[in-house]
Amino acid sequence: MKKVKIFVVCFWVLFLTLSAMLPILWAAEEYKVTAQDLEQYKKIVDDPRPYLKELTYKKILPPDVYAKLTFDVEEMKVQWAEVVGFRAPDEVGKIAPEIKPGTYSYKDKAKYPGLKELMIPLQYEEFFKPGGPPFVGCFPEIKVVPTRQYYLALPIAKATKENIGRTKLDDKGLIKEETYMAGVPFPKPEGKFKANQVIYNLLKRYIGHENQYFTATTRGFTRNLRIDQDMVNEACWIRFKGRVFMEPYGWYDERAKSVGEEFSFKFFYLSPRDMFGNVMTSMKYLDPDKYDQMLLYINALRRVRLMSATDIQDSIGGADVIYADSFIYSQKLSSTIFPYRCEVIAEREYLVPFAILDGSGYMSSKGMELHDYEWERRPMYVVKMTQLDKNFVYSYRILYIDKETFYPLLILNYDQKGRLYRSGLVISAYFPEMGMFNYTSDVMMYDHLDMHSSFSRTFVIPAPWVGRKDINMRGLVVKGK
Amino acid sequence: MKKKRFLILFLMVGWITTLTFSSAVAEEFSVLGRPLQLFGYATQEMSFGFKDTYDTENSLNSALMNLFVEGDYAITDKLKFYGSSMLTVDWAYQLNSHRDDWNEKLFSKSRNKLNVDDKYWMLLKEARLTWTPGDFMFRAGKQIVSWGELLGFRIMDQINPLDQRRGFLDVEFETTIIPIWLLRADYYPKINSSWLQDLGFEFVWNPNADFIPNQDIMAGNADGGIWAPNVPIPGAHMATAYGRIDTPQRWKEGNEFGLRAKANMLGAMTTLNFFYGRDNSPVTQLVPPFMSPVPPHIFASDGDVLLHPFQEGHYPLLKFVGLTVAKEIIPLKASFLGDVAPTVYFEAMYAFDSTFTFSNPLSGGVLSRFGKSDDLRTGIEVAWKVKIPALNARTYFNITGEFFWRRIMDYPSFEEIAGYKKNNYQTFLSVNTSYFHNKLTPSFTWIHDINSNSNYFIPKLVYDYDYHWHFTLGAQLFKGAKPGQGLQLFDNKNQIYFKVAYKWG
Repeated sequence: MKKVKIFVVCFWVLFLTLSAMLPILWAAEEYKVTAQDLEQYKKIVDDPRPYLKELTYKKILPPDVYAKLTFDVEEMKVQWAEVVGFRAPDEVGKIAPEIKPGTYSYKDKAKYPGLKELMIPLQYEEFFKPGGPPFVGCFPEIKVVPTRQYYLALPIAKATKENIGRTKLDDKGLIKEETYMAGVPFPKPEGKFKANQVIYNLLKRYIGHENQYFTATTRGFTRNLRIDQDMVNEACWIRFKGRVFMEPYGWYDERAKSVGEEFSFKFFYLSPRDMFGNVMTSMKYLDPDKYDQMLLYINALRRVRLMSATDIQDSIGGADVIYADSFIYSQKLSSTIFPYRCEVIAEREYLVPFAILDGSGYMSSKGMELHDYEWERRPMYVVKMTQLDKNFVYSYRILYIDKETFYPLLILNYDQKGRLYRSGLVISAYFPEMGMFNYTSDVMMYDHLDMHSSFSRTFVIPAPWVGRKDINMRGLVVKGK
Repeated sequence: MKKKRFLILFLMVGWITTLTFSSAVAEEFSVLGRPLQLFGYATQEMSFGFKDTYDTENSLNSALMNLFVEGDYAITDKLKFYGSSMLTVDWAYQLNSHRDDWNEKLFSKSRNKLNVDDKYWMLLKEARLTWTPGDFMFRAGKQIVSWGELLGFRIMDQINPLDQRRGFLDVEFETTIIPIWLLRADYYPKINSSWLQDLGFEFVWNPNADFIPNQDIMAGNADGGIWAPNVPIPGAHMATAYGRIDTPQRWKEGNEFGLRAKANMLGAMTTLNFFYGRDNSPVTQLVPPFMSPVPPHIFASDGDVLLHPFQEGHYPLLKFVGLTVAKEIIPLKASFLGDVAPTVYFEAMYAFDSTFTFSNPLSGGVLSRFGKSDDLRTGIEVAWKVKIPALNARTYFNITGEFFWRRIMDYPSFEEIAGYKKNNYQTFLSVNTSYFHNKLTPSFTWIHDINSNSNYFIPKLVYDYDYHWHFTLGAQLFKGAKPGQGLQLFDNKNQIYFKVAYKWG
């Protein structure tokens, strides 16, 4: 018993000594924003504060990192207009021109019939109304603002320009990976495979900077709007190919190049209790016929377990998404694994809540309505992806993609009976000084058959300190329970 | 002393209950500017038996309550502390105390062992400090180190002992594993290879700061309570075992070492394992007077004699090497089954010079000795998600099947090893799916012991109202063909149970 006491005393001495030393040694190394930090700036409901005015990257990032990721705004505007060939404000205003900037209530539907023409049908019919069951995310009123030019960062523009015309598709419309280097592969989509080019622009988009750290809070709601899920998770993310912001540029390392790694992320839960300590890593490969690899640290088992990479169609733990819906849409185009026939079914402007600038948009606890989001006319591609494998969960998907930036806004997924099964709306934050949409966003996901919905707020920070050590087996064990 | 213990328990229940139901408790706090996560749950389970035999009750069998609290504090980005604590109380002892049947069958005598889990290592689950500099991870304290791949059978997973005193389901799956005092060091070198994606080395040292063995189901109603096995002895019942089980002396004996190499290569997870330590279960042999009645309880309530085994034993050395491989077999993906490929998990361990009790069959197992044999344990698991639209249009079925084979390499030619043949086979099958957006999860588990042709079935229905409230209705059913062999020992333990859980954080 005496030795047990000695052991325990030694244990605590070590604990306290390290506790005293280590904050000094490592405090500055891994900067991040936790869910708790985010909550201080903006609560998940009933909080109209423009949190992005306070929670700025200038404050969060080390000065050298911030300086490296910010660029001259005017130059970005010019460069990006050259890349895509237009500025969004010049492309819109043709449909229902009588709808001017201002605030419109759902009660104005009869007064302004142009709204119906200008809005995406699902949003107009199902969500432009007062909040209430069965779904979260109704807009009882919308605030229309003038269309903005959204430009992407100079390194993206530069890489896109340098590689313009070099990226090729094969005769099935699949990308020849060896021809893609960096940037947006098809800044001016055209030709037989125009829809595929749009989808590749989406898949290759810079979802933030190449190494980043996420914090997300998600609430799930039953058809009665009762909260049945309340999750907090964090994530690390690394892009391996086409790196333009963070060193190393181009390929992340030799291994990424030789294996053909595209990106990898680690996703770990902080709550609820049953999920705390579950950690998942996913490695996405460039080869269109190669499945991702998924490893899971299972909290109850205290083990790393290889998971089925082919399990991409089942709902993730009662959420309103499947693995193939990650980041709203992340399924590779392939001729062997659930192949799609893609077509651009519309190319026009829509009135949409496209971007978050100051973060004042919020969800109210009454009716789980969305308020103060800014709606603007955006030129958009509407791409229909018809699934050619009848065994896939969806028969087709419809994606609404911004024409100026290739960032997705809305996805509608239909089951094999043609019923709308799941949909997702992503309102992403835009950081003008960086020319960047990352995954800092408010996301609404819907299961239209089970009548379940969820609201998720994510905050992302560029994080050069994220490395392979965070997304490999060590990363699983260290973050696992 | 009893008053003091009661007071401590009372305060602890009060503290945990207050934490559990206090609206002031959020899942994440900030302590000295660093995040502290606090979680917990409270569960109350009631089980009812079907049969009225000496070894069970056709009424309330158990009323287990668990209060669990856990916390994770990130002192820095690379240093964190995790601790968990649980209080388990089986209120069946209070609720049944007035019942003559309960008392006459001597279940009430097991109260000291099974009413309240009040040993320090039962109350303190985990308390560990993790330091993760660079490519290393160091973890010290009371912790769980889990090896192996199979979910149903425990082959390589031999470091931590198990608590199965209250049956195989026990109180909560996660807490049937008993954390022990360990030091662990992991190293994950940087890999820059196309075929080898990940590599890790894990070293575990158990200094035997406190020897905590498996907590197995005990013989005799007065010790084992409602789970005491029904050992068939004509005209008699097996009662409390007496004798001496030697335990390794703290610090001086029973040090354990484990080394494990883990690799993610060619799309497969592979581990090589080495372990030198002690078996968590003892080997025992009967010693004079072997089996005998002991006053004051000579006869059981049904008139049979109560026979007490007298035994001696020890915790023998366990030395093994092992291999695990996990790989998804993508070519077996079938569209008509939902396009998910099966994942195969394989485990094999070879233990050297394991100690067994060799008994003389002519003596009815009374004359015995300790003997040694190498021991091969291997198993394979296939985990497959399949779509069966006729039964569930939205969600897949998770099907997990396992086959376990244990071979006693040097099985004695004349003598027997109690409970084992030369080759021993068992299977495991688990099926589950979910309905109503993951709210309702039915599952069915079947464990089959091939040698004894005995079975254990667990049908279960879980309703997750939300992330706080969870309700479970289930049953445990045993059916064996050969009296006294395998799971037949629990044939009378069939029961249904209901559990309500509130989780916070």
